[in-house]
Amino acid sequence: MNLLISLTALGVVAMFGGILKFRSMVMPLSVLGLIGASLLGVYAWNTNQSFLNDMMRMDNYAIAFSIVCMAGTLLTILFFHFFHSENEIHYAEAVALMLFAVAGCAVMVSFTNLLMLFLGIEILSLSLYVLAGLRKKDLLSNESSLKYFLMGAFSTGFLLFGIALLYGATGSFATTQIAYQLGIAGMNGMAAMGLLLLMIGLLFKVAAVPFQFWTPDVYQGAPTIVTAFMATVGKVAAFAAFLRLFQLCFAPSKEGYQLVIGTVAAITMLAGNIMAIYQSSTKRMLAYSSIAHAGYMLIAVMTLNASSNGSILFYSVAYTLASISSFLIVMVVQQNRNNDTADDFNGLGKTNPWIAFALAVSMLSLSGIPATAGFFGKFYVFSSAVSDGFIWVVAVAVISSFISIYYYFRPVIAAYSKQTHDPVMTMPAGTQALLILLSLLTILLGILPGFIAGII
Amino acid sequence: MPNIFQTVPLIHFVYLSALLFCIGVVGVLIRRNAIIIFMSIELMLNSVNLLLVAFSAYRQDPPGQIFVFFIMAVAAAEVAVGLAIIIMIYRNIRTVDINELSRLKG
Amino acid sequence: MNLSGVLIPFVPLLGFIINGLGFPKVSKRWAAWIGCGSVFISFLIASVLFIQSLTGSFESTTISLFDWIVAGNINVGFSFFIDHLTLIMLMIVTGVGFLIHVYSVGYMHDDEGFGKFFSYMNLFIFFMLVLVMGANFVMMFIGWEGVGLCSYLLIGFWWKNREYSAAANKAFIMNRIGDLGFILGIFLMFITFGSSDFDKVFAGSSAFATNDHVMVAITLLLFIGAIGKSAQIPLYTWLPDAMAGPTPVSALIHAATMVTAGVYMVARSNILYSIAPISLEVVTVVGLATAVLSALIAITQSDIKKVLAYSTVSQLGYMFVAEGSSAYSSGIFHLMTHAFFKALLFLGAGSVIHALHHEQNLRKMGGLRKLLPVTFITMFAATLAISGFPPFAGFFSKDEILVATYEKSPAVFWILAATSVLTAAYMFRLLFLTFYGEYRGGHHQHEHIHESPRVMTVPLMILAVLSTLGGFLGLPALFGDTHWLSHYLEPVFAANTRLTEHSESSLLEIMIVVLTVIVIAVIWWWCNEKYVKKKVAPAIVEDQLPLWYKLSYNKFYVDEIYDRVIIKPLEWMGDFFYGKFEANVIDGAVNGLGRMTVWLSGQLRKIQTGNIGFYVLSMVIGIVLLLIYGLSKMNLF
Repeated sequence: MNLLISLTALGVVAMFGGILKFRSMVMPLSVLGLIGASLLGVYAWNTNQSFLNDMMRMDNYAIAFSIVCMAGTLLTILFFHFFHSENEIHYAEAVALMLFAVAGCAVMVSFTNLLMLFLGIEILSLSLYVLAGLRKKDLLSNESSLKYFLMGAFSTGFLLFGIALLYGATGSFATTQIAYQLGIAGMNGMAAMGLLLLMIGLLFKVAAVPFQFWTPDVYQGAPTIVTAFMATVGKVAAFAAFLRLFQLCFAPSKEGYQLVIGTVAAITMLAGNIMAIYQSSTKRMLAYSSIAHAGYMLIAVMTLNASSNGSILFYSVAYTLASISSFLIVMVVQQNRNNDTADDFNGLGKTNPWIAFALAVSMLSLSGIPATAGFFGKFYVFSSAVSDGFIWVVAVAVISSFISIYYYFRPVIAAYSKQTHDPVMTMPAGTQALLILLSLLTILLGILPGFIAGII
Repeated sequence: MPNIFQTVPLIHFVYLSALLFCIGVVGVLIRRNAIIIFMSIELMLNSVNLLLVAFSAYRQDPPGQIFVFFIMAVAAAEVAVGLAIIIMIYRNIRTVDINELSRLKG
Repeated sequence: MNLSGVLIPFVPLLGFIINGLGFPKVSKRWAAWIGCGSVFISFLIASVLFIQSLTGSFESTTISLFDWIVAGNINVGFSFFIDHLTLIMLMIVTGVGFLIHVYSVGYMHDDEGFGKFFSYMNLFIFFMLVLVMGANFVMMFIGWEGVGLCSYLLIGFWWKNREYSAAANKAFIMNRIGDLGFILGIFLMFITFGSSDFDKVFAGSSAFATNDHVMVAITLLLFIGAIGKSAQIPLYTWLPDAMAGPTPVSALIHAATMVTAGVYMVARSNILYSIAPISLEVVTVVGLATAVLSALIAITQSDIKKVLAYSTVSQLGYMFVAEGSSAYSSGIFHLMTHAFFKALLFLGAGSVIHALHHEQNLRKMGGLRKLLPVTFITMFAATLAISGFPPFAGFFSKDEILVATYEKSPAVFWILAATSVLTAAYMFRLLFLTFYGEYRGGHHQHEHIHESPRVMTVPLMILAVLSTLGGFLGLPALFGDTHWLSHYLEPVFAANTRLTEHSESSLLEIMIVVLTVIVIAVIWWWCNEKYVKKKVAPAIVEDQLPLWYKLSYNKFYVDEIYDRVIIKPLEWMGDFFYGKFEANVIDGAVNGLGRMTVWLSGQLRKIQTGNIGFYVLSMVIGIVLLLIYGLSKMNLF
């Protein structure tokens, strides 16, 4: 709870930083604040306290995912600080919105009442709608923002209708009560309808097929730094909430809907990976890749067993590390060569060997090659699905992983085996060091995955 | 005081709000104007409010109505953000027709 | 107190990192200090633990560093396990390893890859320590693979020579076959016990009946791994070829430590093997056959290192026979004495090779006794030890194995005893050809021969002392009742060891001693007659014995048979599949699939029209379909 309060306060401070003209203080303050909030989280580890009349519980699951989200936010804010231009007028406001969004994430991952789930999702989404339209004069940014807003609000309607039906069926918004009532009465028509509508609302938030339509357009149109934020922090929080809801409320009756999620997961993986192949823009390719990764993570939601929490957490960390660094590299390439097709990566291995190294590591991790974190992410998710007998889902996942290698390796091959006459890429100080740090973390987790997987 | 709500069977409320919800969905589907689409979405949210209130009244259970307050508050925030986005777009392209917005695709 | 044990493997790892990253910037002097010093620190820590274990203030412990792989119910910890068996292995690995490191400072002195050599050696020590200290079979496997890697790197250390890198590849590939067995064994263990932790597996195994299929399968699969690593029939042919590496490598990896990993593994899993007597019989038969066959080959080889390599294979066979006879502590005892005298023999051979400027052919040696006095005396001690001459170390350990086999099966005993005689024969042949008679190389070279520097001879002397006295750790019943080593290892093997307390064994021991002495005397006389008095060149003497000599000299054509039966057909199949099948069928299918996927991608992306109205419509259709599907799945529709 202290974590949440401090995050919100931090957001307010950052917002006033824009109005009261102390913008230079915004970055150090928010970085320190995020570290402090994470420490508060660490301090509350194992305390398992409930707040707000038992509407939220800061258990280890909530703390771990909050910290992952905050770490993602911290990285995004740092990179945003590196890259923002002096005449960018909404710097402090954007940072404030990111902090509000991560406060929403903290609510989403710690709810024990559907009201809190709804509020968390809305706090996150409203911040993201605005962030996507951060460049007011840029038509693509406008379009991205409106698409995200209209479709997001539309899906919220389904989420709410589901909550209402579930309330009608069980008489409560508290997860414990819902699970208890469903345990007694079993699944009746109204409850099942509510469950499915809730699932649909959440599937939209995690961008699973057939609710993925907004993702590529919004990711492409939004400023790259916001895309990185949405694709990592937003997605991780949505998955954590999805899994938490189903673990707390619907785990006993999972036989009924498991196959539905499994089918959606299989279609999502295949469609995301196949559609990514044709993309020339690397940024848009990464948007499709994030759809495919949603498919992989849905497998863990589908199996819904004891190891699901740990495997989703590990997958989230691996995915966040690799995604943030690949979006950042795309941003560097965009700034230097004005475009982000695979050809723009030509010769990166010669001109900027460290950036090429970070690119290679993050792409290897995203495609799940061993000795990177992405491999163990997939390994945990797949192995728990296999042990539950969902071999066909894993087979589809493995096939689509093979497909993904095709497009993940394209920029890497361009970086190492093609020549260029373009000059060495320039980038703000500190970018390179942070990228290398992210790559090393990815490799470290690929060698010693036990540090994270066993924590919750 | 007898609960007037309970004179109407609960299932009728469910049907009514499902109908309202579907009208909202159809509105989103067939209209082009971003503001009208937005109003249709509001209709969807209000059908949820009606449903929650009905359940709440039948069960004599206040949390349902509290939830409605939160939905209203969030919807208001959404209106603020949504209208701002729509105005931003109107300033740039002088229209709010969603068919004009399809530069991002593929 | 045992936390310090964790440091043992990591100090050499640190040495590897410094020397490996620093090469070639670190000077030779520093590389030597770091390389040797890191192993010495490990040795000191291991010694402290060892002394604690002697005074009784030591309990076997598991040290868990962190969870390493967590997947479902499977949890593999990155943890170490230290008990008396581990301590013995630690002392051997770090102690002998340290001596060999010191020796290498002299041997590799002029090599340009000096720092690289020490970094590899340190990495090897690290993995070997992980292998013996791992608290589960997965950790053991990591060490197992790691030492294989280092062996590969070090055999091919002079990689510019094509033959040497071919030898490295051969070792690597043959080991993969064994590793496959090992890893399958581990999988089966996970399936059966849900864990690979020693304590859980061993505790779980008690629920199985004797010769239960699963237990037999697990133990046999593990033994396949041991066959590869410890060079037993049919996978032994890589070890003689592995002699391509620098001689200290042969001493450390291919004599004293890595090749004994299989012996250690079987000893570690003695609880499993005791439930599967069938597997124990397999172990005995394989060990026995290997011991005999390689001893027969060793007797005619002309390369000094090849003789020692086959001798190593033969001695490893001895250890497996001991374990197959449930005399685990005897196997470990022989492992220890073998580490002393075989390391010494290799280092002595290295000293000879060093003095003769990389001449390894026995036919071009001779008469080096006076020129290389220290090497001669120390190698003489080692030869006595390996031949089982009392009271040298090999006598006690080999004797114990013989007694143990006699109780199990007299036939095995007699074959093994005959092999023991063969061992004495080929070792004395080697000694004679090297040190007695007259020098058979060119006169020009003769003048340049001189004894190796102090840094090489001191480790020789220390090892000579160990080879001479090391046997007293396990005094057999003949000379008294106490057997220190088997008592020390009792906590590990207690339930599964046959104790030698029969009255007839004393008689047997005396008989073996007498037999060995007679054989040594005969060989001595024979060699003296042939090589010294008549001054016959060794090649001519051996050509008088054509048939068995040819068979033995050509290693019973095993390499050629493997080539015809396995490699040639595989190459043919490879050609066929690569040339015909792959080019047409597979490539066609893969390219076709690839093209289809790209085409599909081009079609699918068209649904991303960018139009919100279309998106919402598709979503609504998706919602309706999902609702129908979901409700029907929940039987509510």
